[in-house]
This record gives sequence, structure tokens and C-alpha cells, in this order.
Amino acid sequence: MERKQTLETACRDFEEDLVLYYYGDGSERERSRVEVHMRTCARCQRFLDDLRRLLPQMAQPESLPQSFWDGYYRETVAKITAQRQRSPWWRNLSTPMRAWALPVFATASVAVLAVGLLIGRGGWNPQAVRPRANIPQEILTDASQLEFFNSMDMIESLPALEALDGGKAEPFAGRNG
Amino acid sequence: MDNQKPQELRDEELVALCQQGQGQYFDFLVRKYMEKAFRIAFDFTRDKEEAKDLSQEAFLRAFSRIKQFDGRSSFYTWFYRLVVNLCLDYARRKGRVRWQSLDTIVEENPERAELADSRSAPEGQAMAGEAKRRAQSTLKSMPDRQRTAFLLRNHQGLPIADIAKVMKTTEATVRVYLHRAVAALRQSLLEFV
Ligand SMILES: [Zn+2]
Repeated sequence: MERKQTLETACRDFEEDLVLYYYGDGSERERSRVEVHMRTCARCQRFLDDLRRLLPQMAQPESLPQSFWDGYYRETVAKITAQRQRSPWWRNLSTPMRAWALPVFATASVAVLAVGLLIGRGGWNPQAVRPRANIPQEILTDASQLEFFNSMDMIESLPALEALDGGKAEPFAGRNG
Repeated sequence: MDNQKPQELRDEELVALCQQGQGQYFDFLVRKYMEKAFRIAFDFTRDKEEAKDLSQEAFLRAFSRIKQFDGRSSFYTWFYRLVVNLCLDYARRKGRVRWQSLDTIVEENPERAELADSRSAPEGQAMAGEAKRRAQSTLKSMPDRQRTAFLLRNHQGLPIADIAKVMKTTEATVRVYLHRAVAALRQSLLEFV
């Protein structure tokens, strides 16, 4: 194809802005600068047309069946639950609860008894005992406990991105597929 | 928040509940972000199983570090950062091998490449197989940060400001990465358009 040799690009001063323009980014000023330029520049128009043709195709997401996502969710939650049971932080979090747990437990027992009585009479409405997203105040106020467990937590190193910030060699640089 | 269903809670509220010991609320964050996490990982790995493992690992890390999350960034940029870091680690370990063998995988094991192929548009808009392979190959040959910026913008639709936060860099730098990535892809695909 003839086109292969030409490898025409946009005007140097506009190429980056055209990319941003395509994505709907860039300031108002930058966008109108691009628009004004494109009225008279066929190269830049073609560049933008190519982006519009090519880039969405690269991002076509595959639709996976709902069963995949259901399985994914179940598996992930199971792994997290297992981690929670193993982790000292989540386990220990229940330890300082004992001080406040007693009165709470007592209250809960009375509630359970009351619900039991209600059910016994056939008057229980499940909507009425919907669990609340609230935290018991006793936990909320105990910030020092959280601090303590925070300090126990291992600090994981990593950020790969930070390593890259340090200018490490790019694993893929110089390759051409 | 009294009358709110858990799935209606904002990320910060769910995170706060987890930080206060109610780890079960993390499940709602999994539900909300699992598809995004999986798709980022898939964009990096082009392998369904690997993408599942990596994205699930990201959730496990997020969960184990949830108490360190200080709310200075949004949960989602913080979480994306975890996913991207895992993907980049993966790319360093395996990327070259996996990518060099992509064409072979497609030819020898169509089922394995099924996911990649089915990403094409339905009615005649499909990028031809060869063009797609070329695009993927160009993508993989890019410097990591360039590729990351491109995938987050083009595939995930993240705003540039958020990509800058995820990548801990400036918006101006993200723009440059994005421009270079797009220019390289366009160039590699010119003969197919
Ligand atoms: Zn121009």
C-alpha cells in the first residue's frame, strides 16, 4: 500500500493536543486552538480520523458471562475471608472488644429474647431488624487501639511505579514486536 | 447512613467501616471494582487466568492495607495503583516471554486467545487479526509507564488527573506518555487502515 511509506503525522505542534482532543481532555483554550487549526489542515484532520477509527477498537471490552463474575466474586470474597481469619490485625481487633462486648452482648441477648418472643407470637417483621451499617460507638472512640495495630502491621515495600520513577531500565524498551 | 443499604454507601464509608474492624464491608468494594480490576489486569496480561489471579491479589493487598489508607486520595485511585503495580511486577517477570509468544499462542491455541479475539467490534468494525496482533505487540514493546498511561486512559477511561495520581506523576507527564503511546500505535497500524 502506498500509504505505508508516507507515515504521515499531524503537525508537530498539534499532535499532542490532538491526542488530548480525541480523549476530550485539555483545556478549553487548547481545544479551540485545535479546532481552528483543523479547519485548514487536512493532515491533522486525517490524524484525528485515524485515532477515531483505531483507538476505540483497541479498547473493546469482552462481555464475560454473569457466571464468570459471580464465580470471581465468590472466589475473591472467600480468599479475603480466609485472610481475615489468618491475619492478626483482624483477629486481635476482637480482643479489645471484650471490655465493651459484655454490656453489648447483654443488650443483644435481651433483644434476641424479645425477637424470639415476637416470633413465638407470629409478629416478627424481618424489615424491622435490618442490620445497621453503624459502628458501635465503643469501637469508634478507641482510636488508640487502631494505632496500636497499625504500628504492628508490616510495611510492605514495592511500588513498582516508584522504582520506575527512579529511572530504571524499561523491560520492554528497544523491542519491536 | 442509618437507612442506607451497604451497597449504597460511598467508598470512604465502606473503607471506614473496614478500618474499624468490620471487614465484611470490603465485599462491597470487591463487587464494585472487580470488573475494572480484572480488565486492567487483562489488558496487561492478555490471559484470563493470570488476570484473575492478579486482580484478586490486588484485592487481598488492598484489604490487608486498608488501615493504612489515609483518605488523601480516593479509594479508587489508591486501588488502581495497587492493581497497576501488580501488573507491572507481572510484566517484569513474564511480559517478554508471554508477549513474544502471543502469536504462537493464537495460532496453536485458539481457545486461549479467545478472549483477545472476541474484543473486536461486532459488525464489520473488527480490527483484523493481524492488525490487532500488531497493536498488542506495539503496546507491549512500549516503556511500562507509557503503556500504563495509555491503558488507563484508552481502556479504562480514567481522567488524566487521576492517572497522574495513580502513577504518582504530573498531568503534563501523563500527557506526554499518552501522546507517545498513541503516536506509536497509530504508526504501527497505518498500513492496516
Ligand atoms: Zn496540522
